[in-house]
Amino acid sequence: MRHNSKHQASEAKKAISLPISRVRLIMKSSPDVSSINQDALFLTTKATELFVQHLALTSFNNRSQTEANTLNYSDLAKTAEESDTFHFLTDILPKKILAQDYLKSLEQMQDEDSDF
Amino acid sequence: MDGDSSTTDVSQLGMTLDYMASSHYVLHPQKDDGEENMNDHEDSRTKENYKEQDIYLPIAIVARIMKNSVPQTGKIAKDAKECVQECVSEFITFITSEASERYHYEKRKTINREDILFAMSTLGFNIYVDPFKLYLQKFREAMKGEKWMLGVAVGESLGEDLTDDGFANPLRAGIITAAEHFLNVCYNTRHQKIPFIIYFYL
Repeated sequence: MRHNSKHQASEAKKAISLPISRVRLIMKSSPDVSSINQDALFLTTKATELFVQHLALTSFNNRSQTEANTLNYSDLAKTAEESDTFHFLTDILPKKILAQDYLKSLEQMQDEDSDF
Repeated sequence: MDGDSSTTDVSQLGMTLDYMASSHYVLHPQKDDGEENMNDHEDSRTKENYKEQDIYLPIAIVARIMKNSVPQTGKIAKDAKECVQECVSEFITFITSEASERYHYEKRKTINREDILFAMSTLGFNIYVDPFKLYLQKFREAMKGEKWMLGVAVGESLGEDLTDDGFANPLRAGIITAAEHFLNVCYNTRHQKIPFIIYFYL
């Protein structure tokens, strides 16, 4: 099986889009991680790409506003909460509320306190 | 400029407060022209001193992968892109900590490919793993007796049977194609004896 190196180089570039060095940096920021095998790094990088595809597509199909055709933050938060696989993301995907609603509820709480 | 900083004193910041998460503020700049200024984004995120949780993959690339995943007419909100960027770092950390438990337990010094595969299976990301396994099996049979880059030991540990019904799922089919491509490249690169790491650095 022979391929010229130019063809291989372009094939190789297409295989992975994410920067491996950055993935390594993130992995090493975990405590207790000393060194990472090259294959493991490669595999993690590829799996991460698949993760992005998986999360984006699942959230898009699952979106609350189906007519809008846009993927929003809230769709991602919803997917994290409803899916077992993506449940580990719930901590970093808190549901958002509008500032004015929060300030309103703050006021209400303060009013209640002042009653005592 | 954006999202990462959190403070509870809004008056000190000259920005409009549109949304906030339940425990902290999420800030938007006054004018959101909807177009991402990717250089700013990446610079602000790579040049600052890294805290563990602040290392992200470049948003432009993450956004591109997302765009290619959804139907062509679909759009992706800016805050969704930033959010997935953070989710990605969380995913990598998640996999790594699970994998590091295994290699610590076996008293090795390096996280290897098996640890990652095991972590992915344990954490419910089987759909990423199974295509790799399938093609590893295929290549291993084709390359019987010959040592190749991705490791003979891995093939031996992946003795599980694969079911065919999983391949009907279109997402899975897409992943299989990607996995096949990926493994084809690894295999070919090996025969040319060129260090593969050079190809994959962006």
